[in-house]
Amino acid sequence: MKHYEVEILDAKTREKLCFLDKVEPQATIAEIKNLFTKTHPQWYPARQSLRLDPKGKSLKDEDVLQKLPVGTTATLYFRDLGAQISWVTVFLTEYAGPLFIYLLFYFRVPFIYGHKYDFTSSRHTVVHLACTCHSLHYVKRLLETLFVHRFSHGTMPLRNIFKNCTYYWGFAAWMAYYINHPLYTPPTYGAQQVKLALAIFVICQLGNFSIHMALRDLRPAGSKTRKIPYPTKNPFTWLFLLVSCPNYTYEVGSWIGFAIMTQCLPVALFSLVGFTQMTIWAKGKHRSYLKEFRDYPPLRMPIIPFLL
Amino acid sequence: MAAAAATAATKGNGAGGGRVGAGEAAGTRKKKGPGPLATAYLVIYNVVMTAGWLVIAVGLVRAYLAKGSYHSLYYSIEKPLKFFQTGALLEILHCAIGIVPSSVVLTSFQVMSRVFLIWAVTHSVKEVQSEDSVLLFVIAWTITEIIRYSFYTFSLLNHLPYLIKWARYTLFIVLYPMGVSGELLTIYAALPFVRQAGLYSISLPNKYNFSFDYHAFLILVMISYIPIFPQLYFHMIHQRRKILSHTEEHKKFE
Repeated sequence: MKHYEVEILDAKTREKLCFLDKVEPQATIAEIKNLFTKTHPQWYPARQSLRLDPKGKSLKDEDVLQKLPVGTTATLYFRDLGAQISWVTVFLTEYAGPLFIYLLFYFRVPFIYGHKYDFTSSRHTVVHLACTCHSLHYVKRLLETLFVHRFSHGTMPLRNIFKNCTYYWGFAAWMAYYINHPLYTPPTYGAQQVKLALAIFVICQLGNFSIHMALRDLRPAGSKTRKIPYPTKNPFTWLFLLVSCPNYTYEVGSWIGFAIMTQCLPVALFSLVGFTQMTIWAKGKHRSYLKEFRDYPPLRMPIIPFLL
Repeated sequence: MAAAAATAATKGNGAGGGRVGAGEAAGTRKKKGPGPLATAYLVIYNVVMTAGWLVIAVGLVRAYLAKGSYHSLYYSIEKPLKFFQTGALLEILHCAIGIVPSSVVLTSFQVMSRVFLIWAVTHSVKEVQSEDSVLLFVIAWTITEIIRYSFYTFSLLNHLPYLIKWARYTLFIVLYPMGVSGELLTIYAALPFVRQAGLYSISLPNKYNFSFDYHAFLILVMISYIPIFPQLYFHMIHQRRKILSHTEEHKKFE
């Protein structure tokens, strides 16, 4: 069996960082990353980007050395992705925050509203309902992070946790401040409006959960395979017929429901910002599906049936 | 900051593919640039803007000579100032449709901060219009914009006199701090009037469960100058070193 030699150069300075000899032809990029870490322990595998061309795309961990367009002496270029943090850690932190923060406002903890309101309770039913919905929503997210989602990438750049937490925690505080305010004004159309909004919220939450389960079942544990998602027996998944990312569709729907329920402008703004971000993600995902699968269903739109 | 951002952030109103950093010096990048129709449009746009700001400059000088003092000159150039500064919103469109190789986000930020100062502060708070701080930023903006728009015009025509390039990358050293001072002092002067009138503010309770305190917002805007202004200023200093030294090199070999 012919062994390969692998030299790793810095993508920016072209400095020779590492030379590996006697590398097995079936070695994967993941294994090469592990070997590289031995000589440069500060660059753990998650923060390594190895590529064939200094300006090219990163090679995948599963790529096999033998299958790459290289000679028996392979030259790989290294880029430091910066400090990394696991997706699970980021998700747990960014979701635990809103859960906790909203409750601080709900219980009217001192120094938020005037002293005479400390630890008082709102007299509006909808305020208690909103707290339940908001809290269950984030509990659902935390549980999904721990037990449902299967992540393709283990990590993301460390700075993302600051950016993401600012977004989630900031908006949670902003919304919670108004909904739990002593001067909160309940919805104009009263119980009717709240009931309708609650129905929308619950249906969309069930929908979102159904999609997460369907996506999980597409991918066996520990694998990184990608398949086209299709509707299952669960009616909530039938939205796959019309949309590539129904999880995002349902998520937007949930927040619209919550906005109608609370009739609170900050909630509507949060929904709008979330919708904008999710549309960007959905379009990206849709594009990757189209690129990867020739037989991708043509009727599907990224996030809104027929429209967007 | 609106003054600072104007020069730092925008890469150019379609300077034939030339960018603030690379300009004429970089030979290695692909120069795509706008098509002939877009170039013609951009030349007209930049000429018109140069002319507009010259009108403002002349207006200021004439008003000063007529009045004999530099106080309350704002009123003499109020209309062209509003017209031409607001017209700069088109630059966001230029980036969005791709005829100018600048970031939409950066350009939006820069133009919106100018428009904010003109309309949401100076126009909205009448008591502030007679302040000297207004003249301070108007002069800074006027000189900056005359140079900036002529810079773009000449770049588009591929005939950029060194003097204009030098002016663009040198005068900012004084004009930025001048403009920023004028802007900050003006916002500061507006504060008591905003609070008194409850301008642009909404308080609880209301149907949409929302509140906004414009007075607090203006204070936040002032605070934001602290991180933003130094970044823009030092970016321009860095650009200056790169661009002016490069041209010196070229000149040596001519």
